[in-house]
Amino acid sequence: MTALSPALSASRSFESPRRILAVTKLHFVNRFGMIWMPLIVLGAIFLLNLAIWWIITISTGNDNKANHVHLGYSGAVSYIYVYGIIIAVQAISRTFPFSLGFGVTRRDFYLGSALAFVVLSLGFAVVLTIMSVIEIATGGWGVGGRMFAPAYFTNDSWVLRFVMYFLLFLFLLFIGCAGAAFFVRWRATGLTGFFGIIAVILLGAIAYFTLAHQWPSVAQWFVSAGPIGVTLWTIVPTVVCGIGGFFVLRRATPKN
Amino acid sequence: MTAVVEVEGLSKRFGKFTAVNDVSFHIEENTIYGLLGRNGAGKTTMMQLLTGQQFANSGDIRVFGESPVENAAVLGNICFIKESQSYPEDFRPRHVFASAPWFFQNWDAEFADRLVADFRLPLNRRIKKLSRGQLSAVGVIVGLASRAPLTFFDEPYLGLDAVARQIFYDRLLEDFAEHPRTVILSTHLIDEVSALLEHVLVIDEGRIIIDENADTLRGSATTISGTKSAVDAFVGRRAVLHREGLGGLTSVTVEKLDAADRTEAAAAGLELGPVSLQQLIVRKTSIPETEFGAQS
Repeated sequence: MTALSPALSASRSFESPRRILAVTKLHFVNRFGMIWMPLIVLGAIFLLNLAIWWIITISTGNDNKANHVHLGYSGAVSYIYVYGIIIAVQAISRTFPFSLGFGVTRRDFYLGSALAFVVLSLGFAVVLTIMSVIEIATGGWGVGGRMFAPAYFTNDSWVLRFVMYFLLFLFLLFIGCAGAAFFVRWRATGLTGFFGIIAVILLGAIAYFTLAHQWPSVAQWFVSAGPIGVTLWTIVPTVVCGIGGFFVLRRATPKN
Repeated sequence: MTAVVEVEGLSKRFGKFTAVNDVSFHIEENTIYGLLGRNGAGKTTMMQLLTGQQFANSGDIRVFGESPVENAAVLGNICFIKESQSYPEDFRPRHVFASAPWFFQNWDAEFADRLVADFRLPLNRRIKKLSRGQLSAVGVIVGLASRAPLTFFDEPYLGLDAVARQIFYDRLLEDFAEHPRTVILSTHLIDEVSALLEHVLVIDEGRIIIDENADTLRGSATTISGTKSAVDAFVGRRAVLHREGLGGLTSVTVEKLDAADRTEAAAAGLELGPVSLQQLIVRKTSIPETEFGAQS
């Protein structure tokens, strides 16, 4: 087969690193679903929150502190985290058969997709950090409202907030990524099984802490670790999902 | 001639169903192959095995001398266009053509533009909203403009109208002449692509039953027609691939006749005619395997 080796060696230089980056780019070709859609919804939620805060502020006489009105616990921003799972599932399951038709290996597809998720997490973390800095600087948009830096995240520096946002996004994107790998490999059965595994793990932990009367120490851990400590620990499940997803996808076959 | 693909004792099972059954063949460089067969014969599975999309149960596949499975160097030279190809969420044709050059080093953007105009493909419409034929056009354009050394077209033109199909055949031949490459085409429209094909592989129930040069194959059978008695007298003990009759007239398809046979047939007042590739394959795939086991 020596006669064919020139064809292959000519293409070797073109391969893996370039193809991994090509897959990453592929995920951003259609920016609407990946970037603009979640941001537009986030923006709309923010404007609604702002309107509600103003209505409350005006109706309670412009002095929230004196009137003991707390606007500091908006869970609105969690929307974008949940959306992260959807983004990851969709990106993997729809782009996988397409990429394989373009002659991409499963390995390069997975690594390129993982890189895309890191880039996306960085991007969203930047947006949220900027909004949180403005939020704090303006005293909660002038009305004491908190959406981008809610209670748990308020006290740290913007650098720590950025790290926390980034790790949280990464965590959810890789849960979605692993779930999608199960879906691509075993279809709906796989996805059900994946969430089944998560449910069993959570249930096991709850059973353990309950039966061993360990809940106080769990609460204590959350307090002592602090927000940054807790988010740093998400690296463990993020990495487990990332590596597990890789091995599941490695043997997946495209079905249409 | 060098073999681009070499397959040895390849089998693929899905549970109890054997999609590809102990198949061996090879594919020569810079040739247009037809992979023909009935629905469910194993054409798509075969292509998926050759492109590393499916994992074989047993046997050996060499593409450019190496196993294609998870082999970036091999797969980088392959383009696989599937009739049922799915596209990323909300993709539009322009997204497909914008990203194709990142994956195909021989991509010709000008050629792609020309094909878009030929097929009148709306670039900015969501792929979900394209008609069946327009969807096929997206795949056909990628398959042609990518100029991959090994290109697979799996039923590429479902829903394409006759004009668009002719454009596909014409462009494929024109471009093939300038940029030779190996093309493997699976199709039901055998007669339409007949002129295109240089070599034919017919797969039936997971086995390769015909692996033959297209011209040789076309000459491998003849139709004989005439009165029933004359035809029967001539046919004698020859293997009959097909027989049809109308009133006192009969027409039978038999295997290759030599010069002496032809003279004899003419003397008996029989009419000899060619058999189209499609008829030939229909006849060979619809009779029990033992009957054509003798053919070479």
